[in-house]
Formats: sequence, C-alpha cells, structure tokens
Amino acid sequence: MNRNVTGKSSRLRIVCASIWRRPTGKFAVVVLGLWIAVAAVSLFWTPRSLWDTDGFNTWAAPSAAHWLGTDGTGADVFSWLMAGSATNLLIAVLAVLVAGLLGTALTAAMISARFSRGDADRGRGADADDTGSVSGTRRNVRVAGPAGSSALAHGSVVAVDALISIPTILVALMLAVPFGGSIWVIVAACGLSYGLNLARVARPAALLVANSAYVEAARRAGGSSWNVLVHHVLPNIRPVMTVQLSMAAGTSVLAEAGLTYLGVGVPSGTASWGHSLATSAKFIAVYPATVLWVGLTVTLAVLALNLFGDALRDAADPLTNPALRQNSARIVTDDDADGDHDYVTVSIRITEADE
Amino acid sequence: MKFTLQRLGLLVVALAVVSVLIFAAIRVLPGDVAAVMAGMNASPARIAALRAELGLDEPLVVQYLSWLKGVVTGDFGTSMLTGQPIAAIVAGRAAVTFPLILLGLAIALVLGISLGCAAVLARRCWVRSLLQAIAVVGGAVPALWAGLLLILLLGSGTGVLSVLPTQGFPQDGWASPGRALTCLVLPALTVGIIVGASIMRYTRSALLDVETNGDVIALAMACGMTRRRAMVTVGLRLATPQLVSVVGLTFAEMITGVMVVENLFALPGIGTGLVTDIGQRDLIAVQGELLMLAAFFLVVGFAVDVAHRTLDPRLERAA
Repeated sequence: MNRNVTGKSSRLRIVCASIWRRPTGKFAVVVLGLWIAVAAVSLFWTPRSLWDTDGFNTWAAPSAAHWLGTDGTGADVFSWLMAGSATNLLIAVLAVLVAGLLGTALTAAMISARFSRGDADRGRGADADDTGSVSGTRRNVRVAGPAGSSALAHGSVVAVDALISIPTILVALMLAVPFGGSIWVIVAACGLSYGLNLARVARPAALLVANSAYVEAARRAGGSSWNVLVHHVLPNIRPVMTVQLSMAAGTSVLAEAGLTYLGVGVPSGTASWGHSLATSAKFIAVYPATVLWVGLTVTLAVLALNLFGDALRDAADPLTNPALRQNSARIVTDDDADGDHDYVTVSIRITEADE
Repeated sequence: MKFTLQRLGLLVVALAVVSVLIFAAIRVLPGDVAAVMAGMNASPARIAALRAELGLDEPLVVQYLSWLKGVVTGDFGTSMLTGQPIAAIVAGRAAVTFPLILLGLAIALVLGISLGCAAVLARRCWVRSLLQAIAVVGGAVPALWAGLLLILLLGSGTGVLSVLPTQGFPQDGWASPGRALTCLVLPALTVGIIVGASIMRYTRSALLDVETNGDVIALAMACGMTRRRAMVTVGLRLATPQLVSVVGLTFAEMITGVMVVENLFALPGIGTGLVTDIGQRDLIAVQGELLMLAAFFLVVGFAVDVAHRTLDPRLERAA
C-alpha cells in the first residue's frame, strides 16, 4: 500500500508538543506523571507500612516521621495516600477501558444503519458491474440486511437516550446489593455510565464521518463495513472520544470518593483516596488538617485529568492546531472510461502561509 | 407531538427494562433472599416462614409480576425493619431530599449562569481568566471535600464563622420550617457550588458557541445592541436548549453529591435511607427504593428531552 500520509509518530509528536506548550497542559502532564510514578513506587515501597498502627500516636500532626500526620488508628496518612494512588489509577484505567469499549461499540451500532443503507443503494448498481471484475483489490460489497441494521441502530440510539439519565451511583448501588462494594462495582458502574455518555457525544461526529465522501470512497474501493469502521470512522472520531475519556477518568476518581464514603465503593482495608477522605471526614471536628491534604490530592488529580482533556481537544483537532494541518491527503480518482477503477495516490501539502 | 409520544413510549420501555434489572439484581444475590434478610443466626423455620411471606417459593416470573402489580397500584410492600409501608417511608425521606435538591439546583443555576455570563462578558481579561479558573477547579472538587471545607468555614462548633448547623434535621421535620431550612442551607450550598461550577462551564462555552457560530450576535449588535446586551438577551436565549439538556444530565450526576452530602450532614433523606437499607439487607425496601429513584431519573430525562424540543423549534422543523 502506498499510504503517503504523515506518519503516526510525527502526528503524535505534534500533539504532545502542543499539549506541553500550554501552561495548563504542562500542569496536567506533570501531575499525571507524578501520579503514575507515585503509584508505581507505592507498589514496592511506602514510607511506613499501611498496617503500622500506633494507638498512642493517633491524629498526630505532620512531622519528620509522618509527613502528613497519622489517622485515627495511628497509621501514616501519607503512606495510605500513596497506596491509594495505585488503586485509583487502576480504577481510572479500567473505567476508561470499559467506557471506551462500550462507547465505541454503541457508536458503531448507532451508525451501522448509515453503512447498510449505503450498501443497499450501491448494492443494486455496483453488483451488476462488479460481477466480472478481476481486480484483486475489489471485493463484492456485502449487502447487509438494511432492516436488521437499522433496527440495531435505532435500538442503540433508543437505549442510550433512555438509560443516560440513570445516574452512576444508582448503577453502583444496584450492583452493590448482590456483589457488595468492590473495585469492580465502581469500574462497572462508571464504565457503563461513561460508555453511554461517550456514545451520545460521539454520535454526531461519527454520523458526519459516516456520511463523508472519503468513507463513501473507501466503501467503493471495496472496504468491508468492519474495515471502513476501523480504518476510517474510528480514527476520525478518536479526538472527540479521547477528550471524553479523559474527563471520564477524572469523574471516576470523584465517583470512587463518593461511593467509598457511602460504603458501596472500595471495601474497608483497601487503600484508596476515597477511603482516606472518608476516614478523615469522620473526625473532621477533632483533626481538620488531614482532610485538607487528602482533598487537595484528589482535587489536583481530577483537575489534571480535566485539563489534560481540554489540552488534548485543542492539540488533537486540526481546526485549532495548525501544525496538524500540514498533512498530505490521499485522493482516489474514479475517472476511467472502461469502468475499471484506478487508484491514484496524490499528495497535497496544505501549508499555512505564515507558518 | 409525535416526538413527545415516541419519547413517552421510550420512557415506558426503559422503565420496564430497569424494573427487570433491579428485580434481577436482588435475585442473583449469592444465597437466598430470605436467609439474607432473616439474618445470620435465624432458625430454618423463621427463614421458611419468611420465604412463604415474601412469596419466594413462587417462580421468578410470578414474583416479578406480583411485584409489578403492587408497584403500579402504589404498593411497594412493607419494610422488614419497621413494618411501615415503603411508599410512606420514602415519602417521608423525600420531604428532606427534594427541598435539598431544589435549593441546591437554585443556588447552582444562579451562581452558574450569572458567573458563566460574567466569564464571557467581563471587561478585564484577568477577571475572565479568574472566573474560568474557578469553574475548572470547582469541577474537580469532590462533593465530600467541598462539604467538609464549608463545615470548617461556616459550621457551628468547628467553623471559622460558626453560624450554621452541620448535623441532623429537626425531629418534627417541616413543622418548624425555620429550623428545618437552616439545617438545609449548608448541604444545599455544598451541592450548589459543585453543580454550579459545571453549569458555569457549560454556560460559558454555550455562549461562546452562539457568538462564534452564526451571525446572530453580530446582527443584534448591528441593530444597535451592545455586545453585553446582545449576549444576555439573544445569546442566552439561543443557548437555553443546550443548557437545559446539560442541566438535565448534570442533575443525574448531582444525585451522587446529594447522597454524599446527606450522609455527611446526617440528613434523613432518600440517599441516607437507601444506603442504610442496603447495609441492613432490607431487600424488599431496597428493591422499591431503587425502582422509585430510577423512575424519577427516567422521568427527568424525558422532561428534559421534551423541554429541549419545545425550546428549540428548529429541531421540530428539521425532523
């Protein structure tokens, strides 16, 4: 294949550089990097053991031995926060993964009618002149049952519209009744809610792409529905999705805090930021300073994820990031008289005059 | 009209699906519902009696249908712990939660829309940046932490300005409206600030969206309005449908904050009650309460979608 597009790696480099150039992006990257590093370190080492309790040294003020003081059992607050960062990272990553998969599947289902309708329209004409084609690159466009596909599309739109108003916490509570509070309940509840949200947000963009000329071209070139979806539709809605998923990661941290406080999140004994926040909340009247640090950690992490999403939106969108517009485009021509289709790859460089 | 009817049909279908899911969630419990409800050291006879009483020996479909029949006629069953009808218990809790939600939402809307407009219209650049920063940071604060900070700031006993009660709700409820209301001020402020921050962000981006996409604001200014006036009268009206949708979605997320806040401030509301009932394994009550909450949110979603349609006639024409 003569794919003459600017390489993936250079595109990635442009996006990363644009994020780093913004002050908020820099802040986000630094905080997220720190979070990941601390989470990794906490797997092997924390200043104190989590279970190193001391009944005579509860609610101690910050000192050299206990950087953020101790909690109600005399355990080191800083160590618990460190260990919690790993749990929250795991929850965020898993929630984003579930939401991403569910959201992508739902989006694909929602726009599936577009494909099949195109199939049906084209199917009649294309099949006729396609039968004798010897060109190896062409395959018969499989005609999916338009009725079945449009039912799938309609059904998924309806399901998303109806279920999106069910709050995350209700799903979590529903799951917590049979299964009890656990990381998996949080991941499932967040993944479900954000997956629905993602599908709703990505749908307009996906429809726009599905109706575009290049998708039409790809279909005519013989791409199967799956191929077109994976190589043409998804890459073009990825910026929208990545931003949403970044926000979802932030919300999962907030959800974990809320759910754990309510007793349906991370089980007691597992370190998490929600756990640290909940334990310090109970004794706020006695020792208010602990809660400040714990809350600040959570807020900074969520803020970083949200700002990262914002920065990514601007950096990954060719409309707002001129550096990305210097790509070459591939043009497929379809002008042979004999009905045989030739594909000519042409490179166009669009360059801003002042860049 | 067609849209409303379609959406109504969707609401009914969604309600049916959710009711099945909730019913299944209670039934897939590892072990026996009756054994769980009766407690750890109940005699087998007691468990058997409970099974018979709850109709657990019937096939699942019969159980589901009889539950559904009760629900439709407003009979959600009785609580295992107090023996009161569940509908009455929830009604009592709603008398705390709904005023809290409404008060919180009112604070959020006033704060969010006015500050959101200011974040676009303020003359000085640093004021705009500051407001935007407040909105972004506000969206990252956990509800629990916001509540704790407000307690530290304003709560009686612990607070810097100890002016407002931080725990509980009057025993006699709304019979003493003044005291009841003061108990709700801090919780509502917590919810209002959290939700207000996200409404502020949405207001800001919706207004900027109206200004940059289309010439409406430019036209209004050409007709002699100042930018500020054009944005507030024309821009805000055009942004309203979008805002209603967003506020509807925010509303669903808001309930997490409301539940946390109820717990933090020890208010006897729906959230506190549901968590207590789950903890005490009062499963028939949990089943009814989950369904009522889910139904509430589905109805809100329906109302928001219909309102969005009504507020934006362009959608009607496009369809």
